[in-house]
Amino acid sequence: MQILSSPFYGVSGSFESIATTTVAAGGTGTITFSAIPSTYTHLQIRAFGQTNRGSVSYDGAQMRINGDTASNYSAHNLTGTGSAASSSSSLTTYMQLPWVGFGTTTGSNWGGSIIDILDYANTSKFKTIRALGGADGNGSGYVTLTSGNWRSTSAITSITFVPDGGTTWSQYTQFALYGIKG
Amino acid sequence: MPATYEPIATTTLGSTQNQVDFNTISSAYTDLVLVFNGGVTSTADIWLRMNSDTGSNYSRTRLTGDGSTAASTRNSAASSIFVSVGTVGTNANMIIHVFNYANATTYKTTLTRFNSSAYTAASTGIWRSTSAITSLTLKAEAADTFTSGSTFTLYGIKAA
Amino acid sequence: MAVTHKLIQTITVGSGGSASIDFTSIPQTYTDLLVLYSARSARAAVGDDVYIRFNGLSTNLSSRTLYGTGSATASYSDASVAYIGYAVGDTSTASVFSNGNIYIPNYVGSTNKSVSGDVVSENNATGATQQFAAGLWSSTAAITQLTIYCLNGNFKQYSSASLYGIKNS
Repeated sequence: MQILSSPFYGVSGSFESIATTTVAAGGTGTITFSAIPSTYTHLQIRAFGQTNRGSVSYDGAQMRINGDTASNYSAHNLTGTGSAASSSSSLTTYMQLPWVGFGTTTGSNWGGSIIDILDYANTSKFKTIRALGGADGNGSGYVTLTSGNWRSTSAITSITFVPDGGTTWSQYTQFALYGIKG
Repeated sequence: MPATYEPIATTTLGSTQNQVDFNTISSAYTDLVLVFNGGVTSTADIWLRMNSDTGSNYSRTRLTGDGSTAASTRNSAASSIFVSVGTVGTNANMIIHVFNYANATTYKTTLTRFNSSAYTAASTGIWRSTSAITSLTLKAEAADTFTSGSTFTLYGIKAA
Repeated sequence: MAVTHKLIQTITVGSGGSASIDFTSIPQTYTDLLVLYSARSARAAVGDDVYIRFNGLSTNLSSRTLYGTGSATASYSDASVAYIGYAVGDTSTASVFSNGNIYIPNYVGSTNKSVSGDVVSENNATGATQQFAAGLWSSTAAITQLTIYCLNGNFKQYSSASLYGIKNS
């Protein structure tokens, strides 16, 4: 096996880290990326997390853009429940990203998600989100491909995530924002 | 300091082999991405293990399409994360994401896309250990082997 | 050492639309290829199928697909084309484009070319598509050209695709 070393310290090509939020002790209700530079073409958010939703083992995330709380969002899902494939939709005041994989009653189960937003600063397009996410709980769990849309041609400058069922993101939850040049 | 998206290690098999190990993985990154392209002999599945753990500490939920049926299944308390589906064949690719692999507080979560000439699938898995991941193993089921020419590359993604 | 994740080219469709998006003379210096695309078709329907072909050839292609519609799920296969994605059609909500990625590992290797595709479309209605696809080009030739095209219509203005090279060393 070839083990590699890189002399290119700090050189990241087309894929660059913009900002990272890691939740501290005590948790937090909202995770926000603000002042997103318009210098990239696409964005990717890599999320790893858990909420305090205690009644069930899983939670999701409500995603909003530029502080818009109006009914300018739609979302649809293709989900594997462990026993069946299913599909659903929501048309509301946020994009619902289910099984982005958060929430546990055991304290140690965490979900992961990769959220891609193409042409986030393009003022000729509404903004379409693609999210692959899931969480497995050793006898339960979901894996989902989600589509979302924000019906606005404005460039995206901020993104927020709040738990869908719980009230706080748990300590160690991490959302990392990356920019992709195009 | 690592770049944001960086190769860590790569191998191309010159002959058939039962497993490929990525050892002494640096803790400097945030997520890992493991890309596989190739095949397996016989009808073997492909298994993913962390830190050489062969205990029943893995599970996964998956969503599959075989060209006629959409389905979802689950595997619990297993000795590996089963990352492939059905007969892998010789023309398969797989992209495995491992989140926050160096975190010593949480269990470890994976997301996998698997594609072959028989299936397309997505799955999520968990390794129920709070240990930081220092090695990853992709293994063909039982005594079966990966085909010669199969490629395995591990990338690191570093958050700011 | 070369940069790992590198933009090779971006193509944006102009005002007249385009039957296809073609990446030609693809450098052979990377290990994998990644395409990120945002597509809308002129087809007078909710959506349009997006296919991929290589090196200008339309043979030895196949695919399997898994998708959701917002209310149902299904899977199907193609034995003569590589169905790899989806474009929003022109009766869907205006200004909406699909969001997809295509990953091709080992594109210059001497094995058959296995392709991974994830794509979503959106619509301010119950119906929208989320899709996984596995494509296969049964050819041991290195990929030097990559074409994506809609089955029924042209790509509309502002449709775009970016091609990236991913290098494993």
